[in-house]
Amino acid sequence: MNVPPEQASVARAHVMEPGERAIRWILLCGIAVSVALMAAGLVLGIVRGAGLPRGVVPLAELPRALAALRPAAYLSLGLIVLIGTPFVRVAGSLVVFVRERDGRYVLVTAIVLLVMCLGVLLGKV
Amino acid sequence: MAFVAGVFGSMLGVGGGIIMVPMLSMAFGVPIKVAIATSIVCVIATSSMAQIAFVSRGMTNVRLGMLLEVATTVGAVVGGVTAVLIDGRVLQFCFAAVLVYVAWQMNRHGGDVTPARTGVLEANYYDPATRRDVRYGVRRTRLGFVLSLGAGNVSGLLGVGGGAFKVPIMNLLMGVPLKATIATSNLMIGVTAAASAAIFYGRGYMDPYYAVPAALGILVGARLGPRLAVRLSARALGIIFQVVLLVFAVMMLLRGLGLGL
Repeated sequence: MNVPPEQASVARAHVMEPGERAIRWILLCGIAVSVALMAAGLVLGIVRGAGLPRGVVPLAELPRALAALRPAAYLSLGLIVLIGTPFVRVAGSLVVFVRERDGRYVLVTAIVLLVMCLGVLLGKV
Repeated sequence: MAFVAGVFGSMLGVGGGIIMVPMLSMAFGVPIKVAIATSIVCVIATSSMAQIAFVSRGMTNVRLGMLLEVATTVGAVVGGVTAVLIDGRVLQFCFAAVLVYVAWQMNRHGGDVTPARTGVLEANYYDPATRRDVRYGVRRTRLGFVLSLGAGNVSGLLGVGGGAFKVPIMNLLMGVPLKATIATSNLMIGVTAAASAAIFYGRGYMDPYYAVPAALGILVGARLGPRLAVRLSARALGIIFQVVLLVFAVMMLLRGLGLGL
């Protein structure tokens, strides 16, 4: 199997498994999108001379706030993407385990995802 | 500050909320719930960023991480229930005592565990510090699972991530080499943190004024941490980890005495 040179220099003798590649890809995208959104929010804040907003935009109002180019909306969405990335990462692992027909870890990962979602629904601060 | 937190957190596989929360609330006058929310966002940023580096080096044991995540997430959810039964102050003292005990145990063992092939959840990675390929298997999976349940439970009770417990459990008890332990713990803390962060967001405790600069600083720091963790000798990493555990213990004691938090 041929390893591209840039990957070989990063991994040093390690060839990533599909599960590892999926995790890496999901996390990279999550961080890139989140940083881009936060940067957009910061730039909008500077352009509008408003500085950093206090408080996030509730989910329900997010689309309208985004359309209105409110800095807070972009910063909020950036944070949401950052917070959502681990959820997507677990879901991605689940898909990989399903593809590999690794029944045991399909179950394990499904439980983790379920408990995460339950925790959010039941959660109290 | 966020940069430093990112370096240490990603280097040691712990979130560091126990230090970050009082610092934010005392030094910057951030309201406590906002401080917690900010620190949780930082933990997620640390985990996601550092994991890119760890996973591409094959240091993270993904299956082991998923398995123990079942224990820690279930434990954390149940933590809210147990909170009614036990006095928070007693628990904080116990937490501090266990941290000191764990640091002492790690110190007594000196270097790293000797990797052994057990046929359970085996994995291997390349260690640049020793220039060797390390192959290892996991021991005492069941006991480790049960203790992780406890660790998750305690972190649910005290509102701290529990990375400080996951690392010793995997390393000392389950025989996972320290570097693989740190990488795997780093993967796990993101999951627990994401679930609580979603709750904090929903309740409106998230404040971009603190969370966004902190997250950006952490992301930069968390690029450096894994490099250090990978290159340093396991012995040096272990010593840094012990010191951090003792600092955590002191913070917890102060909290128990009603100072600080």
